[in-house]
Amino acid sequence: MRFVHTADWQLGMTRRILGARPPKEAAGGLTGEAQARFAQARLDAVAELGRLADERDAAFVLVCGDVFESNLVGPDVVARACEALGSFRTPVLLLPGNHDPADAACVLRRPDFARRCPAHVTVLDAPGVHEVAPGVEVVAAPWRSKHPLTDLVGEQLAALDPAPPGTLRVLAGHGELDVLDPDDDEPARIRRDGVLAALADGRVHYVALGDRHSTWTDAVDDRIRHAGTPEVTDFDEVDPGNVLVVDLDRHGAQVAVEPVGRWRFLRHDARLDADGDLDALDARLAAVPDKERTAIRLALVGTLSLRQRGRLDDLLAAHAHAFAAVEILEQHSDLATVPDDADLDDLDLHGFAADAAAELFAAATSDDAEARDALRLLHRLVGSR
Amino acid sequence: MRLHRIRLRDFRGVHDREVALAEHGVTVLQGDNEVGKTSTLAALDLLFDAADSSRRAEIRAAQPAGVDAGPEVEAEVSTGPYRFTYRKRWLRRPRTELHVTAPAPEQLTGADAHARVSAILDETMDRVLWRGLRVEQHSGVGQADLGGQDALTRALDRAASGHEAARPDPTVDDGLVERAVEELRRYRTPSGRATGELRAAEVRLADAEAEHDRCRAALEATERDVAARDRLDADLGTVRARRRAQGDEVAELEDRWAGLQSRLREVEAAGDQAVLARERADAARDRRAARDALIAAVAADADAASRAAAARDAHDAEHTTAREDRDRRRADDTDARAEATRARHAADAADRAVSAARDRAELLDLAERLRRVGDAASGLAAAERAQAAATVGADDLAEVEDLARDLLRAEAARDAAAARVELTVPADGDGLTLDVDGETVTLAAGETRTLPVAAVRAVSLPGVLAVRVRPGLDDAGRDDAVREATRALAGACEDLGVADLEAARAACRAAEDAARRAGEHRAALARELAGHADTAALRTAHDAVRDRLEGVEATTDDVAALRTAAGTAREEAGTAARRADEADAACRAAEDAVRESETRSAVLTERAADARHAHARRAEELAAARVDEPDAALADAESTRRDRAREAEREHETLAAALAGDDPDTVEVLVTNARAVAERLTGEVARLEREHAETTGRLQAAGAQGWHDQLAAAATELEAAGRAHETVAARAAAARRLHETLARHRERVRRSYVAPFRAQVERLARIVFGPTLSLEIDEDLRITHRTLDGTTVAFGALSSGAQEQLGLCARLACAALVDPADGVPVVIDDALGHTDPERLARLGAVFTAATAAQGAAQVVVLTCTPERYHGIGAATVVPLTPSRRPGADSADDRDDHAGDRDEPARPIDPAPATAPGTVVDLPRAPRAG
Ligand SMILES: [Mn+2]
Repeated sequence: MRFVHTADWQLGMTRRILGARPPKEAAGGLTGEAQARFAQARLDAVAELGRLADERDAAFVLVCGDVFESNLVGPDVVARACEALGSFRTPVLLLPGNHDPADAACVLRRPDFARRCPAHVTVLDAPGVHEVAPGVEVVAAPWRSKHPLTDLVGEQLAALDPAPPGTLRVLAGHGELDVLDPDDDEPARIRRDGVLAALADGRVHYVALGDRHSTWTDAVDDRIRHAGTPEVTDFDEVDPGNVLVVDLDRHGAQVAVEPVGRWRFLRHDARLDADGDLDALDARLAAVPDKERTAIRLALVGTLSLRQRGRLDDLLAAHAHAFAAVEILEQHSDLATVPDDADLDDLDLHGFAADAAAELFAAATSDDAEARDALRLLHRLVGSR
Repeated sequence: MRLHRIRLRDFRGVHDREVALAEHGVTVLQGDNEVGKTSTLAALDLLFDAADSSRRAEIRAAQPAGVDAGPEVEAEVSTGPYRFTYRKRWLRRPRTELHVTAPAPEQLTGADAHARVSAILDETMDRVLWRGLRVEQHSGVGQADLGGQDALTRALDRAASGHEAARPDPTVDDGLVERAVEELRRYRTPSGRATGELRAAEVRLADAEAEHDRCRAALEATERDVAARDRLDADLGTVRARRRAQGDEVAELEDRWAGLQSRLREVEAAGDQAVLARERADAARDRRAARDALIAAVAADADAASRAAAARDAHDAEHTTAREDRDRRRADDTDARAEATRARHAADAADRAVSAARDRAELLDLAERLRRVGDAASGLAAAERAQAAATVGADDLAEVEDLARDLLRAEAARDAAAARVELTVPADGDGLTLDVDGETVTLAAGETRTLPVAAVRAVSLPGVLAVRVRPGLDDAGRDDAVREATRALAGACEDLGVADLEAARAACRAAEDAARRAGEHRAALARELAGHADTAALRTAHDAVRDRLEGVEATTDDVAALRTAAGTAREEAGTAARRADEADAACRAAEDAVRESETRSAVLTERAADARHAHARRAEELAAARVDEPDAALADAESTRRDRAREAEREHETLAAALAGDDPDTVEVLVTNARAVAERLTGEVARLEREHAETTGRLQAAGAQGWHDQLAAAATELEAAGRAHETVAARAAAARRLHETLARHRERVRRSYVAPFRAQVERLARIVFGPTLSLEIDEDLRITHRTLDGTTVAFGALSSGAQEQLGLCARLACAALVDPADGVPVVIDDALGHTDPERLARLGAVFTAATAAQGAAQVVVLTCTPERYHGIGAATVVPLTPSRRPGADSADDRDDHAGDRDEPARPIDPAPATAPGTVVDLPRAPRAG
């Protein structure tokens, strides 16, 4: 039996780094150009994994939570999601996760979703065993609220008897295993011991999980898996952009990791003290492929003169046009701008203007950002003489 | 910069003139108006500023009228290390030439030459100061704007710091502060309000915050609704269960309450029975009491009957006594009555005797009166006969009298009007007898008789003379009236049957006499008949009295005696009558007493009978009652009924106490409360269901709003706006910091410049205003106040002359202060028009003092009133005369020695041909065409 295991589509997600809609732009969407392309990429990933499922003759696509970024996404997001779901034939099972729990506002029960939802899509908003094909059962552990007070997966497993002979059981859950995030205060953590026991005594044969956006396999039993998000969502993700094609029988699972995502969120650390460092950064950025689908976050340390700082600003501004986003991560950066004597000599001032420049220089050297900016402005004004 | 030489050709009114200037000190260019002094200055500006290709208005204005030649200016200048000759021609065959002679020779033409000169001037000269130190014609009273002048600033800097060496680089300020202000104004208005980019960033940030707050609030509201829906689901279950439990409790309590209700009804029935038994007991008691009362009444009746019989018997004795008394009184009464009758008869006889005596006297009187009546009646008849015979009454007589008076009046009228004949016998004559109208008339001597002539009168002296006098017509008429009256009188008398008036009067008197006598007789008749209607009645009365006396014997007793006897008899009769009345009254009283006694006797008899009958009836009643119910039976019934009533009452009390023990009031309160709780729970369920429906509706609506997307967009925008605002705010802060720093340093420097500048200006101004003068000068090097002899006056409040003089002193002070290398000529175009002659003389000394120093600035004065500047000791005076085109209006043709101007430019002579202070007019031949 073959199925596609995926999760965390997060449809409707926006990323601040991708920028706001330019101000004063005419109406026509809530977000800017990069945001729009990013949103489209998430839908493309869904269509791509659907195409893959059709191609591989999968019995179904199991989405383990967080189909939508929020229960309160707009009707446009819902409509486009339904379009993407309708682009393939393989049946789809949607499990409510922590972002789209089956509460009173659940998007998967909303009239606009129900009206557009293709016939081959099933919402697993009722916990328990669902027979999805002859001899195949899915045990759903949907989220019913944003803050459940129990291990939802453990609860379902505890209620199960061993699977009847000839029946394969897949558990669909959403949440972190306690080994991945040993947070004792979180009551909804999935107890790994319970999961291992259920696999061992044949109550279930595969545990499909969502919530962790990186693809992950349990070290003890490789039938416990996080599929990860099919399209990257953040910088800290280790291996995003995949779906799992699972071939399951009573003895084990053969899993193929298939990449479908096309975007990358990169982080780059650099030390900047001399013009050579700036050259290196420039070259490094220039070498990144697929810039329009890449957001890059820089952590910069070092000390630059006024002139070098101006050069850095120019360099980053130039690259920002090509990338989906370029950002300096302030909390991991320590970049000092200290004017040097050359900065002062360039001014070539005399009289009271020279005295004023000397005062600003002294202040800027002792880390007065405003004085530094004033000095840069003085450079500009003298240069425009 | 120093000007050595200026040459103008075909420039406005100047045909061709060259002026050489003194290198140091004052040069005065004097000449009449329109001679071209100001043109010289304007030409110099155009030479330095305007390219030869320029066609600007000043240049076109410089084109002389009607001449086919462009204006041309040439100047020899030294500035800094340079010395050069520079020439330009505009409009016609424009050309620029530059010959630099020091420090190294250079020859340039066209735009290169212009650029080179601009570079040299920029390098070596403060061009702003060059304009600032100029006093233009008619505008010279104000102050120069010296604050921003580099050359002056350098000089003041030097003076302030004590450095002698000038700094090599001239680029000190050059508008830096102004650019810093401009930069600041991009972000903030002069009052400090944000503007432009900064304002836009602030607005964007505020908008983004508002939008973010709005979206977040909406999202949170939706999340609250989700939580509320969960809570409502749970609450609804709980409350519905409670409502069901409460329904059960209400049913149980209502059953208990119904049981208590039926027992309550039993207690009420027992109460009713107790009341009934008590009523019956009371009835038996009442019957027994009634029997007792009846027995007592029978005894009382017997007593009353015996008392009534005793009273009747006592009264019978009294009755007998009364009857005996009455009989005695009746006998007494009969006797008194007989005595009274006898006395009355005696009195009546005495009265009759008195009456007969009175009738006899009356009969005598009446007979006498009858006789007098007969006499009066016969006299009256005679008088009435005489009266009937009389024909003339009083009225008739009056009529006759009137007619007689009319006759007399007519005769009088006739006689008065008639002619008169006077017959006079002369006094001395004899008497004479005449016949007048047939009558004989005798006239004595001297007598006169007058005869009226009313009718024909005939006077005759018979025989002698007969005279007939006839009256006229009128007199005849009057005589007719007399005749008429006479006839009327006569007629009346005839009618009365009398002869004349006298007869009538006598007849009338006789009639009146008869009437009087008749009246007297009638009076006598009436007197005698008084009390009787007529004579017959009197006679009847007489006869009646006579008849009464018929048969009565005549007595002799006189009337008085008879009356006394009658009175006595009447008194006796009255006394007897009174006694009879008294006896009658006593008899009647006795009769009444007997009747009363009889009545009372009857009453008492009846009462006794009634009492006897009443007693008998009540006794019968008692007997009958005792037959029906003996006394003992009644007493028995009373006691039995009383016991029964007490028993029923005890039964009721027992039942009521048992019911009260089960506390039905509490059960009722519990039922009421349980029903209220059930009702409230029903309301609670309805409220929760309504809230549930509302929340569900809101959530459905929120689903279509896409609040997550809106909030994400708003958060992104907020972050972007925050970053943008931070960046702009940092730029704005930097601009403010830069401007603040620059301005602070400039102000510090300027403050240090004020002192040396003021010292120099005051040095010069004291020459004009005296030693007590002091000045206040602000940081822009403007004079703000002048103090003279302890009086301080603001600059603007000074007289035009004083302002002009101080302005000049300030400019000359500049000229004295600036470094010779930086200096520019001070040009004064006909100023000092407001200055009086004494001050002018002092100003001359100022000029000398300002230009005395080694290397002091050039001063060029243009004037048409040279006397203003006579006081300048060291002045070089250059008189200017009109430089006219030959043949224009002067026949003053000179030699035609100059070459053709249309030839390529004349070579510039690098060495000045003329000495300073000279002017050379170079008349040339008129050009062809
Ligand atoms: Mn997720």
